[in-house]
Amino acid sequence: MDNILLRLILLFAPLSALSFGGGQTIIADIQHQSVSTYHWLSGQEFADLFAISRVSPGPTTLISTLIGWHLEGIVGAIIATLAMYIPSSTIFVTVTLFWHKSEGTRWRRAIERGLAPVAVGLIFAGAVAVMESMHATALAWITTAISACVVNFTKLNPYILMSAVALVYVAAFYA
Amino acid sequence: MSTIEESATASATPKVSLRDIFTTFVRISVMSFGGSTAAWTYRAVVEDRKWMDNDAFVAGMTLSQVMPGANPVNVSLYVGQRLRGTIGALVGALGMITPAFAVVLVLAILYTGLSGYPLTHFLLLGIAAAGVGATFSMGAKVAARIERKLIRYVFAIIAFVAVGVLHWPTVPVVLVLVPLSILCAAMEK
Repeated sequence: MDNILLRLILLFAPLSALSFGGGQTIIADIQHQSVSTYHWLSGQEFADLFAISRVSPGPTTLISTLIGWHLEGIVGAIIATLAMYIPSSTIFVTVTLFWHKSEGTRWRRAIERGLAPVAVGLIFAGAVAVMESMHATALAWITTAISACVVNFTKLNPYILMSAVALVYVAAFYA
Repeated sequence: MSTIEESATASATPKVSLRDIFTTFVRISVMSFGGSTAAWTYRAVVEDRKWMDNDAFVAGMTLSQVMPGANPVNVSLYVGQRLRGTIGALVGALGMITPAFAVVLVLAILYTGLSGYPLTHFLLLGIAAAGVGATFSMGAKVAARIERKLIRYVFAIIAFVAVGVLHWPTVPVVLVLVPLSILCAAMEK
């Protein structure tokens, strides 16, 4: 096997298994290893790839895909993506197997009732964190508020909502 | 469209085809800007298709956040596994990852050309902000379904302040709050 492909696996697979709390927690490690340890990317190149992975739909850990692509083209992208998602997914499915079998039991109800309020706190915390990370302007907050109302009170197709927002922003940009 | 019309009673889970699971997550994946995956999944899986109820989804979402792995991928694994076991989980995750994989590569290829235009940045931030709106909406809906008990609201507020305001890491906060919250729920009645 190509040495770099092997190294990609050795970098991402362990981080995947250790990414408790989601992708954000391992970004610093990915940066440290890919920039300082292996010299695969310059600091600026890493920052660019990170910016792309953040504005893309889907998980931020897709930066692994971009690093793989940067080094070894499409094969590198696929290998890095698999290395990033197979270990954590295997752990997740194994653990939740037991959870899915417990449906309808009394202790399961207690766990669901106890989890719900913490989940609510985390949903709002996550929303605020995204707004902070993109240094939201007044326009961004207005967009968020209108979008929240549209999603909450209508059944409007999300693609139409996103396209409308895009059109408004293009218009606002050139206005 | 692949909407399941069967009446999904609490006891009888509707049999959902793997194709429906895949296409549902493909659609969610492509619009999940600004971390809004869980919000769109909630709408598709709980509200539109009624594949699972609010409580089961919310519990799965919390598990997805705490366990290793990207939250969107874990959410798709959770839903797929609940509906069709391990193969369902695999299909759900493929539906979630494949489009995002393609989009991120296209953006990377276009990036050098597009990053020079200020419009690119401006536009992507706007779309991300709309995605955050979807998350707020889901938060409001899930909050409205919490039992009307003071202790529930106290846990919700502590979780929000700890992670959202004080920026404490999610995992330790959850590992402390969740057992306490479950204990309180279990001791009632």
